[in-house]
Amino acid sequence: MYMPVLILLFVGMVEIARITYTYYAIQRILTGLARYVGTQQAVNFCDDNDASVVAAKSFALTGTPGGDASASGPLIVRGLTADLIRVRLERYDVNSQTLVECDCSETGCDASVGGTAPDFIVVYLPNGYTVRPAIPGVAVDPFPLRPRVRVPYGGT
Amino acid sequence: MLVILVPVIFGLMGFALDLGRLYLVRAELKTAANSMALAAATRLIGTDASTDAATTAGAQTIETATGFGNKYDFGGSTVGQTNGSLNSEVQSPTFFGAAADALGSGGGETSGSLAKYVRVTITGEAGLTFWRFLPLASAGKVNVIATAVAGVSAPLCQACSIEPLGVAALDATDGINFGFLPGTKYTLGYVCNGVNPNGPLPNTVGRLPYLILNHLDSNATVFPAEASQLLRIGVNGLLPSTDQTVACSRVGNTEQLWATATTANCTPGILSGAVTAMLCGIGLRFDSTPQGTCAGLADLDTIASLYPPDTTTDDFDDYASYTGTGRRVITIPIVDVLNASADMTVLGFRQFLLLPNSGAATINVADSNGRFAAMYVGSVKPLRQGSMSGCTQSAGPGKVVLHQ
Repeated sequence: MYMPVLILLFVGMVEIARITYTYYAIQRILTGLARYVGTQQAVNFCDDNDASVVAAKSFALTGTPGGDASASGPLIVRGLTADLIRVRLERYDVNSQTLVECDCSETGCDASVGGTAPDFIVVYLPNGYTVRPAIPGVAVDPFPLRPRVRVPYGGT
Repeated sequence: MLVILVPVIFGLMGFALDLGRLYLVRAELKTAANSMALAAATRLIGTDASTDAATTAGAQTIETATGFGNKYDFGGSTVGQTNGSLNSEVQSPTFFGAAADALGSGGGETSGSLAKYVRVTITGEAGLTFWRFLPLASAGKVNVIATAVAGVSAPLCQACSIEPLGVAALDATDGINFGFLPGTKYTLGYVCNGVNPNGPLPNTVGRLPYLILNHLDSNATVFPAEASQLLRIGVNGLLPSTDQTVACSRVGNTEQLWATATTANCTPGILSGAVTAMLCGIGLRFDSTPQGTCAGLADLDTIASLYPPDTTTDDFDDYASYTGTGRRVITIPIVDVLNASADMTVLGFRQFLLLPNSGAATINVADSNGRFAAMYVGSVKPLRQGSMSGCTQSAGPGKVVLHQ
């Protein structure tokens, strides 16, 4: 009589734990990525193919700087690929005394045209990482996990 | 039977869910604390005002106005604020002059001018789902504490983004200051040939000759003109590059004169265009409006608009009272001997505070001997980039690293 309830509790517990661990893993990955890319030299964040950005994403997502960070690669979190991750550049604006997004321009942070380094970077998943709890007999809609990390930029 | 089983089951489920959540919250708070500590430590430049600037910079990592600040508890709770039933508190950062004190359990806190390390402690409450039904955790939440310590590293052997103005050590055996006197105002003047009729600038005690060391980026694609490169180096230090010989200088390595920054006769003292370009860049640290002498330099107005000047142009007799952002603090290689035609060996790196000319708000970039005043300040400001490996230095600027 109690077995279905217990099984439901057990499976639900496992699923919540799995999602918690997934969030934890992604949060650690983003932290590692932010610190890695935030201490490099001559990074052009405005170029998705910049060698430092690609290496940082590969390192964070696969554990090796040259790892394949696409869906077919040895990903630490299944489905968490390089294209899901965005690096937001921020600069302190002395007039508004707030952090504002540093755009990809000459007066912004586009290093390829002379832009200077940002003050902070935020690494996040714009569309989140979608998870779907799998609980037999219970329909649960998928939902996105949206961890993010802001670190001071320490590169040049 | 059920009375016994329910607490056991809830306890076990708590291990699976609540403990996992606690680990997650701890990781998020630790990330927030690390970021705060790193941001704060970069502002510790050895001035009285630096701790206030550090506190402000640290707080920016958790600001929520943009929606991108660090949060905790599945990214749903704001660090340092109350969110419904869960509270979080950020203690005021504490500052220390020694890493051992910062890493210790108490004592040793210091004031702004002596602070080199910062400790950040964040407390956040994490909710409990199952353990709240047990007597030991009936409050339904528990405090999670994260601490981070950041500060200056060991002296750097390789320093990047510095100003390549080679100055010879006054005393090469003095591993701390190379014979320079902290707090003393010197005149830095470009090396010239013959007897120099121009002495030191007013209010300075002596003249330190300098040469511009060659870090030309021959592969530059952004502002590639040589004058533009010198201008950018003058205003913001060595250019970012993946080529370490361009972007950095290393203790023990040899440096050569920047090829076009040639020395001239002291009289009449006409500087090469390369030296003028560098000085124009240095002048932009005081005022973003270029001086007339700089007119005609490639990309002048564009470059001038990219780099904000310091927030103060005042002269200071005591570095601790300097209230600027650090833009006027330059880090230069100290070499064994100045030689315009041979190798110069880098002994270390030391820092000077640029000073305006007497009665002015900036340096005179048109000075016929490339003179400007600067106060020797030792190693006060952390560098953005560099490496600690490859040499043994008893003193010198470091970079900001996490110590805990």
